[in-house]
Amino acid sequence: MGPDGGCAGDYCPIVDAITLIDGTNGLNGSHKCVQQSNGSINRQELANSMNGKSKRQLNGQNGRQIYISDRKEEPPLYLEILCYISYAVLIIFGYLRDFLRKIRLEKTRGAVESHREGYVPLYQSFESFFTRNIYRRVCDGCNRPITCVPGAEIDVMDRVTNDYNWTFEYPGTTTRAINMGSYNYLGFAENEGTNVDRVEGVLHKYGVGVGATRHELGTIDIQRELELRLAQFLGVESSIVFGMGFATNSTNIPTLASKGCLIISDEYNHASIILGSKKSGASVAVFKHNDMKDLERKIRDNIINGQENSHRAWKKIIIIVEGIYSMEGTIINLPEIIKLKLKYRCYVYLDEAHSIGAIGRRGRGVSDYFGCDPKDIDLWMGTFTKSFGAAGGYIAGRKQLIDYIAVHSQSATYATSIAPCIAQQIMSVINVIMGVDGTHDGQMRIARLSRNARYFRRRLKQLGFVVYGNDDSPVVPIMICFCSKISAVVRTAFTKGIGTVGAAFPATPLTTGRVRFCVSASHTKEMLDKALRVMDEIGDQVAIKYSKQPKSCEKIIY
Amino acid sequence: MCCRGGRRAMGVVLVWGMMLGGTPAQVNPNSLWLNSRGMWLSYACGVLVLHLALLSFPFLSVATVWTLTNVIHNLVMFVFLHVLKGTPWESGDQGKVRKLTHWEQIDDGIQFTSTRKFLTVVPIILFFLTSFYTKYDSFHFVVNFIALLLVLLPKLPQFHCVRLFGINKY
Repeated sequence: MGPDGGCAGDYCPIVDAITLIDGTNGLNGSHKCVQQSNGSINRQELANSMNGKSKRQLNGQNGRQIYISDRKEEPPLYLEILCYISYAVLIIFGYLRDFLRKIRLEKTRGAVESHREGYVPLYQSFESFFTRNIYRRVCDGCNRPITCVPGAEIDVMDRVTNDYNWTFEYPGTTTRAINMGSYNYLGFAENEGTNVDRVEGVLHKYGVGVGATRHELGTIDIQRELELRLAQFLGVESSIVFGMGFATNSTNIPTLASKGCLIISDEYNHASIILGSKKSGASVAVFKHNDMKDLERKIRDNIINGQENSHRAWKKIIIIVEGIYSMEGTIINLPEIIKLKLKYRCYVYLDEAHSIGAIGRRGRGVSDYFGCDPKDIDLWMGTFTKSFGAAGGYIAGRKQLIDYIAVHSQSATYATSIAPCIAQQIMSVINVIMGVDGTHDGQMRIARLSRNARYFRRRLKQLGFVVYGNDDSPVVPIMICFCSKISAVVRTAFTKGIGTVGAAFPATPLTTGRVRFCVSASHTKEMLDKALRVMDEIGDQVAIKYSKQPKSCEKIIY
Repeated sequence: MCCRGGRRAMGVVLVWGMMLGGTPAQVNPNSLWLNSRGMWLSYACGVLVLHLALLSFPFLSVATVWTLTNVIHNLVMFVFLHVLKGTPWESGDQGKVRKLTHWEQIDDGIQFTSTRKFLTVVPIILFFLTSFYTKYDSFHFVVNFIALLLVLLPKLPQFHCVRLFGINKY
C-alpha cells in the first residue's frame, strides 16, 4: 500500500476482505478501494444488517452490499457421540487408576500431605481428578519454556519425561519452531531495531522500576506523553495507561459499575471482564456470542423489568464486548452494537485486547475496520501485550470519564504504574503504526498481517479443516473435538517444527476442543506454507478434516 | 477459553490453557455439558449397550436381564448425580459448588429445565419397559420400584440441597 493508503498494484489486501456482491473486488476502475471511496460507512444504512448463519450483509454508502463471512460449522453428530465415548473411556480409566492408587497397587505420584492428622484436607481428591487423569496425560504440550524473544520463530527448551508427564528433565537442548502461539500480531516482538534502541536510551535515563503508584510519585512524563499519543492514535479525547492488562479490566470495571447497575456481557468474554463485573457488585446478564437479536432482547427485558426485587430503573446499563475473541476468532458486530446503544441509551465498553493494531486499514482496531466513529463508543479498553510487544493496558474515552477513572481507579491508587521503558516501547510502536517515524513500516506490517491472516485461513479451509471466526481475524482456531487428537496435533506439529496452542474442556465446551494459530506480520509466506504443509499431513494422519463445506479448487494467491 | 494468563507478557507459548486462570468464573462447566448436542442420544445408546451386554449372558433370563439393567442404571445414576459432589477440576469460583451434587449443579440450580426433565423421564421409561418384560412379577416389581424411588426422590425440587440425616453433607 502506498503512503497515502491508495492501492499500489492490483491486489489490495483490505479490499479482498470485502467480497462484493457484484463480483468485483471493489477497485471500480478508479483504483480506490471500497473503504476509501465510501469514507466511513453510513450508520443508518448499516441498520439493515442481517444476522444470518453463514454471512452477514452490510450496505455500504453507495448501496453496494458488503458481505462479512462469519461461518460457524458444527461438527457432525457422530463425532460428538464419539467424543463423549472418548471422555467416558478416560473417566473409566481414571477411576480405575485412582482405585489402584488407593489400594496401593500403584504409586501415588501427586503431592500428599504428611503429619496432618486431624486437619481438614487442603485439597479434595475429587477436585484433582481431571488434572490427575486427563490433564496429566497431555500436559507435555503445556507450559513449555522458551529461551528467546517470541518472534516469528522460537527456541523451545526440550523436555523429557520418564514417568508419563509427572516429572520432566531438561537435557539442555532447544528446538527451533515456527511460533504460531504468541500474540505477536504486528511482529513487534524484536530484540533489535530502532524501537529497542530507544527503549535502551530510556532505561539509561529512568532506570527500570517506577517505585510508586500513580497517585504518589509514580507518574512519569513518558507516561503522560504516551497517554496523549495514544488518545491521538485512537481518535478519542483522552486515555490512561496501567501496568497490567488483566488488572485494567478487573480493577476498573468496579470503578464504573456498582450495585444497581446492569452489565450485559458477551457469553465468551474474558476472565478479567468477568472478574471485574463480579467485583463491582452490579447485576450481570449474558447474551449469546455475537448474537445481536439476543442482545436486544436482553436489553429490552432488563429495561422493562428493572432491578431485581424493587423493579426500579437501572442506574446505568453497560454492554461489555470484545473486539476479537481470542478463542473463537470472531470480530464483534460493531455497527449493530452502536445502533443498539443509541436506541436504548446504554454505555458500551469495548475490550480491544486482540484487535488493536491487528485489524483495520490503519491498524486502529475494530472501529477502523468497520469505519465507525471512535467517539460513538464510550469506553475503549485494550492491552499492549498483543500487537505492541509490550505489557500493560489502557482505557480511553472522553476526558471527563478518564479523569474520573484516574482519581478513583484502584489500579491507579494501589498498583505501580507502567514502567518507563515499556511506555517508550509502546510509544515507538504507535509512532511506527501511525507513520510518524517517517517510514512505511507500520502500514507494511498491517498489510502483511492482513494478507497472512486471510491467506492462512483460506488455505486451511481449502484443506478441509473446520476453522472458526471471521475471515479477517489473525486468530485462527481449528476444531478438533477430541482431546486426544488435540494432544496428537500439538505434539506432532512440534516435532515437525510448528509451535501451537491447544484448548479443551473445561475451558471450552465439551465437544469443541480446538487448536489455535496466531498469525503474525513477521511470518513469511514460506513459514505459513510450511505450517500448512505440516497441518495437511497431520490432518490426514489424525483425521481432523471435518469440514463438509464444498472446497474451492482455485489456487489461492498470496 | 485459553490460557487467559497470557495477558501479562508474551513469554508463554505452548499452553494447554485449561483452567489456568481461565475457567469462565461465571459459568460452571459442570452445569452445561449435559445439554451438549448429541448427549441425550449418547446416553440412550449407553443404556442400550449396557442392556445388550447383559443380554449376552446365556444363563440370565430376559426378566432378570431387564431388572439388572434397570437396577444398574439407577445405581450408577444415583452415584454420579446424587452422591458425588463438586467438580472434578478446581473451579474458578472458590468452591461455591463444592457441596452440591451434580444434579443440583445442572443449569446452575434452575428447576424444570429440559435436561432435568430428560434425566427424570429416562428411569421412568426404563421402569415401564422392565415391568412389561418381567411380566409384572411381584418380586421384580418390588426391586425395580425401590430402585426407581431411589433415583426419583432426590430429583424432586423439594429435595434440592437437602441432606437426610446429615449423610453426604460435606
